Amino acid sequence: MKLLFHTISRTALIWAVLVVMTTITTYAQDPRLRLAHLDYLATKASETVDVNIDERLIQLAAKVFNDKDDDEAQIKKLVIGLKGIYVKSFEFENENDYSSADVDSIRSQLREPAWSRLLNVTSKREGIVEVYVALNGAEVVGLAVLSAEPKELTVVNIIGPVDLEKLAKLEGNLGIPDLGIHSNKHKTKNEQ
Amino acid sequence: MNEDYLWDKSGEPDPEIQQLEQILGTLGYQPKPLDLSDEIQPRSRNRYLPLMAIAATLLIALIAGALWLRVRNKTSPQLDRAKVESPKPQQASPNIEDKKPNEIVAVATDKGSRYVQPKPKEVRHPRTPQVSKMTTVERQEALEAKEQLMTALRLTSEKLNLAHRKAQGTSPNQIRNQHKVG
Repeated sequence: MKLLFHTISRTALIWAVLVVMTTITTYAQDPRLRLAHLDYLATKASETVDVNIDERLIQLAAKVFNDKDDDEAQIKKLVIGLKGIYVKSFEFENENDYSSADVDSIRSQLREPAWSRLLNVTSKREGIVEVYVALNGAEVVGLAVLSAEPKELTVVNIIGPVDLEKLAKLEGNLGIPDLGIHSNKHKTKNEQ
Repeated sequence: MNEDYLWDKSGEPDPEIQQLEQILGTLGYQPKPLDLSDEIQPRSRNRYLPLMAIAATLLIALIAGALWLRVRNKTSPQLDRAKVESPKPQQASPNIEDKKPNEIVAVATDKGSRYVQPKPKEVRHPRTPQVSKMTTVERQEALEAKEQLMTALRLTSEKLNLAHRKAQGTSPNQIRNQHKVG
């Protein structure tokens, strides 16, 4: 009987450890970026864009897309499988209203193996633009864009199976320009 | 003194020995069943241990789940909508840099706040069966979500396009201005 008690106790302990580890692992692999710490920049910014659309809102919005309209149908196909779209964009009156620590706090979350940098453009005058994708095998499960210009800081985080090819096909539709990213994967160029 | 008595209790006993036997005899071994009280029984100590372990497991799982959900939702506040806060230049104090951050917040949110897009107009599309089932509130929420979605896609494509143009070595200014949000 005593052995049974010990077995049950050990099993319960192992389950507890597994639950905690699974939670930590799931959290670590979540392609969602933590952006809340950037909210303080809204007090300095002259213009702020803050988009938080979770899966429920995406599904809700998909219901009002007009399937008979080709443009909207394309957009609907693009977003229907997404789990979240989060955007924070701040425009400032002056340069250096945000710090490099703000940029680093985002970049530090975009590390391998969860994220792969697809594109990186660095310019001393115009700042940086970095494009990252989160991969699960060969499938893209997340997209992140980090744009840090002298007077603007923008972070885009799309969660879900982002189809870059479909995204690129949105050229001219509803004001969305040609992205051309399907032909420039893994391209890196530093402008000095 | 007959020492046989000390050896096998035979022979004549010594009175002194007999007296010692009487005194020490009460302390000798007296066979009787072991009587353990309930408090010191090992079984009672371990009885609730597995239950407590299971309860602790469930508690840890609940706490971990709650923490995970909290962290997950922390970056998406209750206001799931796109918003642009843009104070007009004349509304901002000339010496705005001297103001405390809280004061700037007041300027930005109370006077200058506006949404990225004007309030969505009712679109007269042929209604699909899905849309017709929605209530007015749900439809309004869906339209707002759609506008936010489009705002996010516009901004995303703008930045992707900007990155592409920069990588190509051309000035992105024209493209940026064409799709400037707000």
